[in-house]
Amino acid sequence: MKMDLDTDMDVEVESPPLDEEEKAVGGRSDVERRMRERIERTERRAAICDRIATVVIWGLALFGLGILAFIIGTILVRGLTTALTPGFVFGKPEAIREGGGIWPMIVSSFYLALLTIAIAIPLGVGAAIYMAEFAREGWVTRVVRFGADSLSTVPSVVFGIFGMVLFVIYFGLGYSLLAGALTLALLNLPMVMRTTEEALKAVPCSYREASMGLGATRWETVKKVLLPSAMPGITTGAVLTIGRIVGESAAVIYTVGIFIRKVPTSPLSPAAPMAANIWHTYTEGALVSDWMRVANGEAAFLLLVVLVLNLLARLAANRFQKRLGAVK
Amino acid sequence: MSDNGNEIKFELREMDLFYDGFKALEDVDLDIECRNITAIIGPSGCGKSSALRCLNRMNDLVDGARVEGTVNLDGENIYRKNYNVVELRKRVGMVFQKPNPFPKSIYENVTFGPRLFGIRDRETLEGIVEESLRKAALWSEVEGKLKTSALALSGGQQQRLCIARVLAVSPEVILLDEPCSALDPIATQRIEDLLSELKETYTIVIVTHNMQQAARLSDYTAFFMIEEQGDPGKIVEFGPTNTIFTNPDDERTERYITGRFG
Repeated sequence: MKMDLDTDMDVEVESPPLDEEEKAVGGRSDVERRMRERIERTERRAAICDRIATVVIWGLALFGLGILAFIIGTILVRGLTTALTPGFVFGKPEAIREGGGIWPMIVSSFYLALLTIAIAIPLGVGAAIYMAEFAREGWVTRVVRFGADSLSTVPSVVFGIFGMVLFVIYFGLGYSLLAGALTLALLNLPMVMRTTEEALKAVPCSYREASMGLGATRWETVKKVLLPSAMPGITTGAVLTIGRIVGESAAVIYTVGIFIRKVPTSPLSPAAPMAANIWHTYTEGALVSDWMRVANGEAAFLLLVVLVLNLLARLAANRFQKRLGAVK
Repeated sequence: MSDNGNEIKFELREMDLFYDGFKALEDVDLDIECRNITAIIGPSGCGKSSALRCLNRMNDLVDGARVEGTVNLDGENIYRKNYNVVELRKRVGMVFQKPNPFPKSIYENVTFGPRLFGIRDRETLEGIVEESLRKAALWSEVEGKLKTSALALSGGQQQRLCIARVLAVSPEVILLDEPCSALDPIATQRIEDLLSELKETYTIVIVTHNMQQAARLSDYTAFFMIEEQGDPGKIVEFGPTNTIFTNPDDERTERYITGRFG
């Protein structure tokens, strides 16, 4: 923002307005002149600094955006034509021949996302309700919060290996959608919990008082007042979580699988979500001569899916906001 | 029974209120008569609102709040073990300082309470809505737009909606915590008229910063004060509003109502 100081005003503050007679006296006007020069100099310097800062900040913002645009652009340029071919999207993957599609991978991704959400949302939202509305602030809540925050910094590959050991091997689920969903649910639990808790905390206290004042129990208050009011936040969190699940590869590689030819049907089927399959195709897919085309097309398709999901999250939040009738 | 033969609704005896270690109120004795308006006045921070919130155990929502002494509602201590707080809040409704309608429709706001108590029948609910809104002098203004959001109403209308929402659960007592402090004079006037009418049926306790409002509106007035910062609030004087405002016993009361401090 540009500083717009009024020079005259400033001089007036420093020395009160002078009569014509006084101005004629050389000494006074000299002081005034120097003062004015100094103010003008300071002002010029401030204006220059301001301009430099503006340029730098804009430059940084553009740089960040530029990188993002470059990545998205590259992926789309390389793969969009393939990604938008029906034969590719709905086609069967090929292990040796050319011309394979990715339909089972798309199904895997969405199947996995839905399963994960079905596990993570009830757990996360429930925990958040407890934390925000029922638990007394104390060491228990602090420990849970610290745990959740720590979990969210653990690399997903660690979750992958943990999931493989616990669900795939120990519980004997094998490489399957369910094993992956359980792992990813753990991975995303902190995020679901946090967004829900924040959303609940953002509900004005006056709603709680109004509800309890009318004789509602805590649970009735949560159910009828707080959850509806927090819905935009919770939905946004859920859709963003789906986006993260669809884009997750490391944890999936160890628990679900990387290549399949048949569409997965049951939660216990092995599957190959897109992100994991892209990794597989790039690193070990050289058996098919058009592996580059498949990987690029799949990457472009995955990118589109994630972009659409983010857009949906926004729309859903806006929609809820409107329905709540927030006029201000 | 009080001296003049009216029934007593609330009877507070040696009530103390603590927030953790801090004593917010001390030794509060108060008799609140049926079908009257009792005003609670006093300088900021003297515990008036806290005292009001003791009457429907709203302070339970505050971590570390604790009440000692007796608060009898129709002769039964509401702080005794296993007292049904939900039932209490149904009998003792509350209207807050800032209008706080739910971000739902006008209709849903008024039916919120009745639905909680299991009333599902549409016709009954519609009857309750009309009756409550009429009593709250809001019906004529919202009649055709019950399904619109309550947040679209003006501040004064929102506050009357909050009163209607309380009336819908047919309480015996209505507590009001500075209900007009966020409203303009015209909206305030309407609320005051409304309260004067409601006192025919309900027992009303109102906390107010506005001395004229207490004088105009109430039958009894309790004056709360703290001696020094950090001391608990106490009742300085309690009696018929007329006496308090024209011939107070305590010098501090007189100084306060004539505007010489606080």
